[in-house]
This record gives sequence, C-alpha cells and structure tokens, in this order.
Amino acid sequence: MASTVIGAGITIEGEVTTDEDVVVAGTLRGKLSAKEGVTIEHGATVEADVTGGSLVVAGALTGNVTAAERVDLQQGSRVIGNVKAARVTIADGAQFKGNVDMDV
Amino acid sequence: MASQASNLSVIGRAARVHGRVTGAVDLEVQGYVEGDIAVGGDVTVDGGGMVGANVHGRRLVVRGAVKGDLLATESVSLEEGARVVGDVRAPRVAIAGGLVRGYVQSGDVQGAPRAVVRAVAVARPAPAPAKAPVSMSAAVSAPQASNGTPAKKVAPPPPVSAPTVRHVEPAPRAISLGGSGSGAPAAKHGPPPPVVPALKKGAKGALKKKA
Amino acid sequence: MAQARTTSRSDGQGARIGSAARVRGRIHGDGDLLVEGQVEGDLSLRGDLTIAEGGSVKSKAVEAQSVTIGGTLEGDVSASGPVRLVAGAKVRGNLRGSAVAIDDGARFSGQLDCAFDLPAELGGASRNDGSARGRPATRR
Repeated sequence: MASTVIGAGITIEGEVTTDEDVVVAGTLRGKLSAKEGVTIEHGATVEADVTGGSLVVAGALTGNVTAAERVDLQQGSRVIGNVKAARVTIADGAQFKGNVDMDV
Repeated sequence: MASQASNLSVIGRAARVHGRVTGAVDLEVQGYVEGDIAVGGDVTVDGGGMVGANVHGRRLVVRGAVKGDLLATESVSLEEGARVVGDVRAPRVAIAGGLVRGYVQSGDVQGAPRAVVRAVAVARPAPAPAKAPVSMSAAVSAPQASNGTPAKKVAPPPPVSAPTVRHVEPAPRAISLGGSGSGAPAAKHGPPPPVVPALKKGAKGALKKKA
Repeated sequence: MAQARTTSRSDGQGARIGSAARVRGRIHGDGDLLVEGQVEGDLSLRGDLTIAEGGSVKSKAVEAQSVTIGGTLEGDVSASGPVRLVAGAKVRGNLRGSAVAIDDGARFSGQLDCAFDLPAELGGASRNDGSARGRPATRR
C-alpha cells in the first residue's frame, strides 16, 4: 500500500512533497513531488507539475511531468503537458498532448 | 500534607455555602458553594455539587457543575457529568466525559494558585437567602497552619466534627474551614463564629512556601 | 489508536498523508484523513480526521466530523462530532466539538467550546457566560 494516498473524495490545493510514493485517486491542484513512484488512478484529476521516481497515469493530468526512470500513460489516461523521463510508454487508448523528452 | 480522613472536609448535599472556603484540607463538595474555594489539598466536586466561583487546590476532580476557574498545582480531572464554564489550568489536565467552555492549559502552569485568591469574600446576596440549610459544614481538623490558604486571615482550624450540614442561619461570610469568618459583618442571626487564634507567626511564610 | 494504519474507509474515499510526506495547501472533501506526515493548511473534511503520533497539522481552520489527535496540532478545530487528544498529543488552538476529551499525558492550551448548559443555580443556559473569560491572551 502506498505511503501517501489521496482518495477519491479528497481534494488538495497546494503542494505535496514526499520522500516515498504517492497514489492519487482524488483531485490535486498545485504541485506534486515524490522521490518514489507516483500513481494517478483512473478518475483522478491532477492539475499540477509532477516529479517522481516513476509515474503511472490512468487518470487526468494537466501539467509537466518529470520522472527519474519511467512514465507510463495507460489506457484511459488523458495527459496534457510535457513528459521528461528515461523511458516513456503511451498505451493505445491513452490521450496525450505535449512534448516527450527521453534525452535524460 | 497528609490526607487522612480527618483532613477531609465535606460540604454536604443539602448544604449551601455563600462565601469563600479556605483551609489546609481536602474538600468534597456535594452541595452548593458560591464563593472561591482555595484549599491546600484536593477538591472533589461530586456529581450533584455546584460551585459558582473559582477553585484552587492541589488535585481537582470535577463531576459536577462549576462556574469559575479551576486552578490546580498538580492536576485537574473533569469526569463524566462535569460541566465547567471557566478556565482550567494545571500541569496535568484530563477531560473524560466532562464538558468545558473556557480556556484550558496543561503543561506549564502560569495560573498556579498562589495567594491570588482575591477577596471574593463578599457574600453575594444569595438569590434565595433564606435557603434554610445554609451551611458550612466541615469536618475539619487540620491542625497545621494555613498551607495554601491565601486568605489573609488564616488560622489553623480547630477540630470540628460532623461532616454534615448544620442548619445555620443564612450568614454570608467567608468561611475558613474551622476558622472564623473573614471579617464580614458577623451574622446578626447566626451562631457566633468559632473563636480562633490569630494568625501565627510564620504562617505567612508557610503560605508563601506552599504556593 | 494513533498508530500507522491504512485508510479507514475501504471505499477509498479518504486520504492518508504518509510520514514522509508534506502538504502545503488546503485539503477538503469527503472521507477520512489520516495525517502521519506534515500538513500546513486548512482542512475541511466530511469525514474523520486523525493525526497520528508523529504527524503534525498547522492550520487556521480544521473542520471534520470527529478529530483524534496523537501528534501535533496548531490551529482551531471545529468538529461536528467528538474531539479527542490522546497521550502524547500537543495541541495549541481552540477546540469545538460535541465533546472534547483530553487524556492524561496530552498537552493542550486553548479555548474549549462545548455546547451545554449549566444548572439553573449557576446561571443556566447562556452562551455568553464562558466566552468572555479566559481568552488565550489573558493570563491571570
């Protein structure tokens, strides 16, 4: 279980910073910065720049993403923003608009 | 201060006290007190007890109603049934089931019950002065002087028996447990207050030390 | 009680701020919130708030159903249900709730505001009676 979980009914407006991992199933507007994995679940709404060790997105994300390792945009995800990571996967059915930079 | 049975004063269920209550004693309030309580020992306000002024003591346990501040040198515990409107200050405060409206502070105590009991010695004109059982009641037999009694006139209370209500005529005066009334006009119609020796030398010193 | 645990609502409504996490901003919504890390900002929850030992909240306004504090809280709390400070809690602020419990070993300074009436002999029902006394600035 993730160390920090923002459930479906919760909205955070501001900055979230953690040394561990985060799962967002609710709403986050602001900034998200984690040292480990970030998961944005289906149904989640994130309007923030996101930094993490790795990132898995199944929900809606508007903002720039930077991951140390990899970024996975899953089916059903909707991402608007630039993605920068060593590896990027965009699944069939994911909607994405932005730049991809794998030149890390 | 030892808490022998003989050091326990009780204000009985049917008692009504109009005036301050002081003494180097433990006190149990089952009745009604309208006047500051400032004792050197522990104070318990029972479920049916009511206090309409401040309470100073070492450890306070409240299960009844208090309209006034609770200031303790050791601890305050508000238990089921307690209803307090006033401030609560003590190194340790526990509230379990009690209801409070006021400022509460535990940890460092700034409002320690030093000689701060200002004279609220005035008897309020009791709303129903002729409540038959006025009283005072107290089985006091703390022979030592005045620990923790900030009142100016403090006297070692002579032993008094009967921890029950005595039917004393309404005599609004400060009550020093076992001691004399603190100078309020002597009751016109009441038994004369017990005669007590004057303030002993050094008692004041003991006062300061206790505080 | 105030130990690390998973979100209490299994429907996933609530949130948990882990011990390594810091949030600066406003948190609101349905569900419970468990704070094991640090939160700086206002909280407005339709569920229960728990501040675990080691967790801290600094806020101007905390609203929740019930509030249980084992860690640190600085700010005013307004709960529709009970507020409870367990041993180890350090709280500064004004608390309002249906009932307020402070365990021995908890440290608290601030106003308590429970809804109740004194017996008639002591003045009876009056919300004005206590509120004028003992403002935090008042030290006697």
